[in-house]
Amino acid sequence: MASATATYGQKESSDQNFDYMFKILIIGNSSVGKTSFLFRYADDSFTPAFVSTVGIDFKVKTIYRNDKRIKLQIWDTAGQERYRTITTAYYRGAMGFILMYDITNEESFNAVQDWSTQIKTYSWDNAQVLLVGNKCDMEDERVVSGDRGRQLSEHLGFEFFEASAKDNINVKQTFERLVDIICEKMSESLDAGDPAVTGAKQGPQLTEQPAPPHQDCAC
Amino acid sequence: MDLNLLQALERERVLEVLRRDKQLRIIEEDRIRRMKYELQELRRRGAKSYSRQYGERTCARCQRPLGKFWNSGAVCRGCSHRICSRCRVGVGTADWKCTVCHAYREVKIRSGEWFLEEKARKFPVTTDKYETVGEKLLKTCNVLSHISVVPPTPPPHLDHQFLSRSGDLKNTKPFTKSVEDLMVSFTSHIKKISTSQNDVRGDLLKVDNGRKGSRFIYSTQKSLSDTDISKASHLFKVPSLPNLFKKNKDSDQEGSSTGAEEETSFSSEYSGGKRGSNSSISTEYGFFDIVSIAGELELALAYNTRTSCLEITVGGCRNLAYGDAKKRKCHPYVKLYVLPEKSGKMKTAVKRNTTDPVYNELLKYQIERHLLFGKRLQASVWHSGTLRRKVFLGEILIPLDGWRFENEASQCFNWYPLCPKAESPDGGAMEQDRGELPVKRSSISQGELLRLSSLKCLQEKEMHLTVCQIR
Repeated sequence: MASATATYGQKESSDQNFDYMFKILIIGNSSVGKTSFLFRYADDSFTPAFVSTVGIDFKVKTIYRNDKRIKLQIWDTAGQERYRTITTAYYRGAMGFILMYDITNEESFNAVQDWSTQIKTYSWDNAQVLLVGNKCDMEDERVVSGDRGRQLSEHLGFEFFEASAKDNINVKQTFERLVDIICEKMSESLDAGDPAVTGAKQGPQLTEQPAPPHQDCAC
Repeated sequence: MDLNLLQALERERVLEVLRRDKQLRIIEEDRIRRMKYELQELRRRGAKSYSRQYGERTCARCQRPLGKFWNSGAVCRGCSHRICSRCRVGVGTADWKCTVCHAYREVKIRSGEWFLEEKARKFPVTTDKYETVGEKLLKTCNVLSHISVVPPTPPPHLDHQFLSRSGDLKNTKPFTKSVEDLMVSFTSHIKKISTSQNDVRGDLLKVDNGRKGSRFIYSTQKSLSDTDISKASHLFKVPSLPNLFKKNKDSDQEGSSTGAEEETSFSSEYSGGKRGSNSSISTEYGFFDIVSIAGELELALAYNTRTSCLEITVGGCRNLAYGDAKKRKCHPYVKLYVLPEKSGKMKTAVKRNTTDPVYNELLKYQIERHLLFGKRLQASVWHSGTLRRKVFLGEILIPLDGWRFENEASQCFNWYPLCPKAESPDGGAMEQDRGELPVKRSSISQGELLRLSSLKCLQEKEMHLTVCQIR
């Protein structure tokens, strides 16, 4: 199986036939299921064994969304504190985040606030975040109710999903929603700097030089 | 931040990920490069050139005249140019853009440039905005590993100061004062080393020095292949020295690296390694036509740890552009190099009259595994035309350090879309190549000093000069 996924990854990563490339980072406490979540999404596989991620890893998946082929480079980070310097270094390059906690683990939920602060510190200002309560298949061991999750997400201004990598619940939806909101941010960002919108009232400029279409101004 | 805090095994794991990331990034950069090139082309076609009158009454994109009342065009909100109705993208009377503004926006989206700009607001860009954390980490680790692993193996260089680049034209004056001498320099330039491997071998072994005597000029000329003769006569026609230099400069990119190839093949001579052919010099010197790039190339890469060989299987190509568009002919072959040194030149056979050639040739390049770090495989497709005219049909660059050779699955065939030539791939690396290889002596004779002015006295000893750059 390992070789099969690798071929897949190799092909995916060398494929140039796509429209955009988005970089997504998955963060959260150790053992909340970040890697499993990613494996479920990218390879549709699940292993119950826990193997701690060393530093960082990533997978590539190309999806078709809104008539566009979007290549996702999804970074999986180690939750353990000792890798923090490496993982935070990757916040800056990520367009969107999946902040994950484990619904059977109170501590991982309590840490969400801290993770959110980390994002604010190390990432760009419009970073899009989805809060995900993983392992929702383990209803018997649940300690964090869905409502508490939802409340916290509203408080932080994130969107919220409860998901299960094991039973493949809401995994695809989470990523697709994140892609959609990054797309929205992208249009906003472009329209803000786009003279077609902001410069509409200026009227035609009669300049001899072709106006440089490159708009470096921060308007 | 560095990786030194981690244990060796962990560091290896992380580095492996970083390399994979780098591979991905190189592919992505390549995509962006092509995208920007296309945008540039679009812009160039539309641009009002300075030589032309700037008329208010022409479309800024297609240059078609615009009427005063009928088909008068409208001003694009993006670039404030007057645009005819045909060069607009988008719907409605207000919500349109000219083709260039539209394409610019597209590129900004597709290249992720928008994100880089957004990011730069919070984190001002200090160095290279494309440089990522991974890149930095890799660099630091790269430096470390290079120090520890790669033994410095200086090639048999000739005194650099004596003949290095621009300033040396003065030094070479006696050398280039007559046409004949010029020919000498250029035949040696072209031929570089002796006609065949055996000559060099014999020389190195000093088997029979006398037998080969007195043939510096003549024998090299005699044994020129057709290519070289045509090339040489071509050079003869060049009227003046400055032009000659200019010509050489134009073919800089290709030409300068030939020396690199030579260097590597030469030094591998000592270690008994394989030596690349020298016959296709015209392609090296950049006298080639460029056609539109199309199609894909199929390759499989593997590393044979037993023989320490990088094994590249060239499967074939499909949907190539015609090398000779007029006659709709194509005789393609594939050429491989290992960058940045441009070493290990390998070629497949020429397949005639096809744009979907099948080669299935296994080409081997001997290199220690750890030396693959930082290397890239350049695979270019060429049309072998009449009179040895070479036409560039496209190339691909594959990073070798991120390649997961252990993985059997990654050794399967893969199709790669062909790209145009990188304008100056790794500009810096290129410069480096040039700087390192001004002139060198390829065979070692008994202790005589090498001076170019004393060339004629050296007929008894085999003397081979490689002039890589004349400027």
